[in-house]
Amino acid sequence: MPTAAYTITCSADLARLIEAVAAERDREAFTALFDYFAPRIKAVLMRSNTSPAAAEELAQDAMLTVWRKAAQFDRTRASASAWIFTIARHLRIDVARREQRSKVLDLESTEFLEPPPQPDEELDAGEREQRVRAALSHLTDDQIKIVRRSFFEGKAHGDIARELELPLGTVKSRIRLAMNRLRDLLGELT
Amino acid sequence: MSRHHPKSTTLAEFAAGTLDEGRSLVVASHLAMCGKCREYVSALEEAGGQMLAEIAPVAMAPGAAAHVMSLLDRETDAPSVQARKQSVMPVWQPEQKTLLGYELGPWRRVAPGLRHRVVKVPSEGGARVFMLKAAPGLKIPGHNHTGTELTCVLSGAFIHEGGRYAAGDCDDADHDDGHSPVIDGDEECICLVAMQGEFKLSGLIGRLMQPFVRI
Repeated sequence: MPTAAYTITCSADLARLIEAVAAERDREAFTALFDYFAPRIKAVLMRSNTSPAAAEELAQDAMLTVWRKAAQFDRTRASASAWIFTIARHLRIDVARREQRSKVLDLESTEFLEPPPQPDEELDAGEREQRVRAALSHLTDDQIKIVRRSFFEGKAHGDIARELELPLGTVKSRIRLAMNRLRDLLGELT
Repeated sequence: MSRHHPKSTTLAEFAAGTLDEGRSLVVASHLAMCGKCREYVSALEEAGGQMLAEIAPVAMAPGAAAHVMSLLDRETDAPSVQARKQSVMPVWQPEQKTLLGYELGPWRRVAPGLRHRVVKVPSEGGARVFMLKAAPGLKIPGHNHTGTELTCVLSGAFIHEGGRYAAGDCDDADHDDGHSPVIDGDEECICLVAMQGEFKLSGLIGRLMQPFVRI
């Protein structure tokens, strides 16, 4: 049984574990993160047409990246899950582009893009977490279904059309409507 | 602050990592100059994180955790202390030889008052990426394209049917959005463009330019 220090009940617990890995190279904290995130990363990769073996390997790679880059995590800028989501995304891009490192979305070069602080427009991560949760809860089930497949799982429009048994044009317009609705909701829920 | 932004779907594909590399570069250039879109992309990443937390997990292979733990011993590097440099580098300065890490080809004259340079993006099959530098007052011949054209203004400004586009503004055009931009003000206008499909010029000058602009 994990001890209390490594129990995960909320987003802040995950952030604390990443910080422990960064500051103390805490292996128990890393194991807790591995147990939580690796099976989830594997799950999302398998849903986006990655074979179970490749998904397994990429999930392990993602967790090694977590170990290496833990010091770059900043809980005021992103939640733990959002940060891990971006790590999984980079790995998926690398595979799609046959190992060519994407400079644009690479964790190293995003520092290059460090924006000037604009408090009016960019939120604290905790505030954003609440707002995003509220926005997602306002989408219809059909919209969530579309957002999950096209954005989260990164599926091609044609695959979504086959899966939901809808014409391609309908899928494209539903994606557009759902993403616009989400953007509007995020703007309204201040 | 920019007033013209990429479409929600373009930003979503960027945040999902499914946008091709060339167009991702144009989006990244816009994000560097647009706090609103940066916040939207961060919100999408947060949405991705929440979906990740809620997904039904798939068990890892037996011994996976132990295997990864054994690899940590080889990770000798201490975590980098200077993780977050707060330095703000402008995306584009005139003497730059690279753009966000991508190598730039030499400027080549394609028509009076119009120069073009290739941005070397390695991924195949994506958009062609280039920069255009146009003289003040230049009227770019009316054109449309068979694919999509994503443009970010790096300096100067142009005006077309969709409004005025100044530094940081993004024009996210579909194939059916034909337009004829005019360079506005007395400054050269430098744009970063990712284009899919063919570029089709109309009019006499356009037909004369066509062989040169075919990139």
